[in-house]
Amino acid sequence: MEAHDLDVLVLGRQANVRYFSGAPQLWVAGTRPFGPICTVVRAAREIYLNSTWDEGMPDDIPHDHLYGLAWNPMTLISVLQNIDGAATARRVGTDALSPTFATLLPMAFPKAELVDGELAMRAARRIKTPEEVTAIRAALKVAEHGIAAAVGELAPGISEQSLAGAVLEAMAAGGVTTPATQDAAWITSREHPWRRARGDARVQAGDLVALKAGVLADGYVGEVGATFAVGDADDAIRSLYERSNELWDKLIAACRPGAVASDLFAAYEAADEPLPSMPVAHGLGLGFDPPVVTPSLPDTAAEERFDPGMVLAVTGYVWEQGTGAVFSREAVLITADGPELLTPRSVTVGIS
Amino acid sequence: MTTSLPADTSSLQLPDEPDHARMYREAGARLRSAMADNGIDALVLLNNANVVYSTGAAWPLLDAGLSHVERPVAIVLATDEHPHLFMPFREGASMESQVPADHLHPPLYLEFDEGIKKFARVLADLTPPGANTAVDELTGAMARAGARLFPGGPPSDAAPVIGAAKLVKTIDQIACIRRACRITEEAAAEVQKALAPGVRQVDLSAAFVRRAFELGATTNMLESIWQVMPDSKAEGMWTTHGDLALPLLTTERDLAKSDVLWTDVSITYAGYCSDWGRTWVVGQEPTPRQQDQFHQWRHILDAVLGVTKAGATSGDLARAAIAANGGAKPWLPHFYLGHGIGTTAAEMPMIGTDLGQEFDDGFVFLAGMALVLEPVIWEDHTGGYRSEEIVVITEDGWTPLTDYPYSPYGD
Repeated sequence: MEAHDLDVLVLGRQANVRYFSGAPQLWVAGTRPFGPICTVVRAAREIYLNSTWDEGMPDDIPHDHLYGLAWNPMTLISVLQNIDGAATARRVGTDALSPTFATLLPMAFPKAELVDGELAMRAARRIKTPEEVTAIRAALKVAEHGIAAAVGELAPGISEQSLAGAVLEAMAAGGVTTPATQDAAWITSREHPWRRARGDARVQAGDLVALKAGVLADGYVGEVGATFAVGDADDAIRSLYERSNELWDKLIAACRPGAVASDLFAAYEAADEPLPSMPVAHGLGLGFDPPVVTPSLPDTAAEERFDPGMVLAVTGYVWEQGTGAVFSREAVLITADGPELLTPRSVTVGIS
Repeated sequence: MTTSLPADTSSLQLPDEPDHARMYREAGARLRSAMADNGIDALVLLNNANVVYSTGAAWPLLDAGLSHVERPVAIVLATDEHPHLFMPFREGASMESQVPADHLHPPLYLEFDEGIKKFARVLADLTPPGANTAVDELTGAMARAGARLFPGGPPSDAAPVIGAAKLVKTIDQIACIRRACRITEEAAAEVQKALAPGVRQVDLSAAFVRRAFELGATTNMLESIWQVMPDSKAEGMWTTHGDLALPLLTTERDLAKSDVLWTDVSITYAGYCSDWGRTWVVGQEPTPRQQDQFHQWRHILDAVLGVTKAGATSGDLARAAIAANGGAKPWLPHFYLGHGIGTTAAEMPMIGTDLGQEFDDGFVFLAGMALVLEPVIWEDHTGGYRSEEIVVITEDGWTPLTDYPYSPYGD
C-alpha cells in the first residue's frame, strides 16, 4: 500500500479479502458484483471485514471491526463512514468498482481520490512465501486425488458428467468441498483442435479423455490436468504423447528465473506446436495470480519476467486430426536454481 | 408441496423441456426493452450471471478468485437482436450458445491495459459516437482508461437495467429453474438416505455433487451447507446481531445422533439456479417439541402463501409472516423472508432486508416471478426449523416448483 501510496484499500474480490483477512468465507461459484467486503486502513494497520460471525477469524480482527451482511449499499457506506481514517484519507484504492459504488464511495471518503487498488494487490500476490507454497502443494495433492479417482472409473460407457462428478466427489471426500474449477472431464475432439463433443457424451475405446481438477484449499488454488487414452493406445496416440512430452521438456526449461513469460510461446514454436486457445500459463495462489500468459496478450507476456517464488500452472496442449488432443496442466515453482515441478509428470502416465 | 392451501396450477403451462432458442429470444427482447426504458444504447456485462442471462451461454463457473480474469463478456446493443459474446476457451470449451457465429469473439482481458486497448477498439466499432453505455463492473484497467473507453461520458450502472429485465421469468427460464430443482432434489434424496451418525459433513457434500453432476448439473453454485445447529443461541457462534449464524462452513466433523442440520445447496442447469434447504435430524425421529417447530414453520409458510399472488407486495408477505409468528420476524436479521431466483441463486426481490419497509411496500409481484420462501423458526433445545420453498407467482396465487418431502418432520 505504501509503494502505491494508498491510504485505504476497499476490497470486494474474494481472493484479495482472503489475502488480508485470512478468514474463510462462504464459497459461491463465479464472479460477484463489487461491494466493500474488506477495508484496510494503512496508517492504523486496521482491517474491517464484512462478516456476520467470527468463525475462523484471526485475533487481529476484533469483533467491533466486523460488520454484517447487508443488501442496501447505504448500510455499507454508513459502516465505512465510521471507520477511523475514512474522513481524512487522500487516496483510496478499490480492486474493482461498479458505477453505483463509484458514486457512493466518496460519501465515505470525502477527501479521497478513488484509484485502482488491484495493481497493488497483484504486486503483493505475485511472489509466494514458503508458507504459501506449502499451501499450494497441499491444494495440488487434493486435486491429484480428484484426478486419480476419475482415472479409476475411466472405461468405455462412462459419461463425461459422471467423470466430472467423480473428480468433484473425491476432492470433497478428501476434505475440500470448494472446487476452483468444475470443468473436470471431456472427450477430446478428433475433428477440431479445441472444440469438443457434447457434455453428455460417453467414453469409447480409442478416446483421449482429458481430466482436470482445480481446488481451493485453505484459500489457495491447486490445478492439475492430464489426458488419458481409453483402451489400447495405437501408434497415432503414442506419437501424440511423444509430442506432448517433447513440448513439456521445452515448457519446463522456459520456467527459469529471469526468463520472460513469452518464452513459453517460444517453447510451443520450438516444438513446432501451434499455440492453444487457452492461456499457456497463469500464476497459482489465492486465485488467478499474475502472470497470465496468453497469446491474446502478447505485449503483456513479453514484459512479464519470471522471478523466484512464482508458482505457475503451465498448460501443454497438442492435437492431431483424427486422433484427439493431449491436454495437461502442471504446477511449476520458479526457484533461484530453476524450475521445480510441484506435480508429478502426469503426462507420462497418460497411457495406461 | 402438500400445503393446506391450494396452489394455482391452472395458469402456468410449463414445458417439460426448456426451449433454449425461445428463451434466448425472449430474454433478449426483455433486456432490450429494459434498455429502451432506461435510455441505454449499449450494455457491457462482465458479471457471469448477467452474461448467462443476456447470451444464453452456460459453462461450469470458476471459483470467485479465478473468475474475474478468464471471464466471458457480453456487449448488448439496443439495435441488435443478438448480443456480442467474447468467450474464453479455457480448456477447449463445450459451450453451446444461440449466439450466431458472427457475434462470437475471442476473449477480452479487461484486467490488463493491453486487453483494454483492444476493448476500446471493439467498443468504438460496435457503438455509435456518444452512445449511452451502462456497465455492471469497472475493472481497475477500465477505470484508468476512463474517457478513452467511454467518450460519451462515464457509463451508468447496468444493474438496474438487467435487474428489471430479470424480474419476470419466461416459461423456459422457469422450466430451467425447475429442472435444476429436480436434479437437486434427486441428488439430495440420495444424500438423505445416507444420513447417519458417524458420517462426515464432507461425505454429504461429496455424495451430493457426484449425483448432481451425473444428473446433468452444469455448476455447483454454493459450497453445500449441512450446518449442525447449536443447542441454544447462547451456545452458538458469536454474531454481529446476537442471532444465529447461518450458513456455517462444512467441515470433516462427524455427525452425531440427534444433531439437527439446516441444509442449503444450489446447482445450475443451463445457467439457471436451484436453491434447496431442509431441516434434518440425524439418526432419530424428531421429538414432539421439534415437531412443534415444524408445525409453526408450516403455519407461517401457509400464511405467507395465503397472500402470495400477482399484485401483492413484499411488504404484504412480510406482514403475513410476522403476524403468523406472533409479531416477531421469522427470519434471520442478515437474511430475508424470501428472495428471487434465476441466473443467481438469490436475486431481487429480497423480502424484509435493510432495504427497508418502503422498498418492500413498493415492490409489487407480477405473474411469472420466481420466489424462494425461507422462514426460520427457533426455540432453544430443539434445533429450530428452516426449509426453502420455490414458487412461481400467478395471477390468482402461486404454483410450486418443488415437491421434496419434509421428512423426518412431515410429508
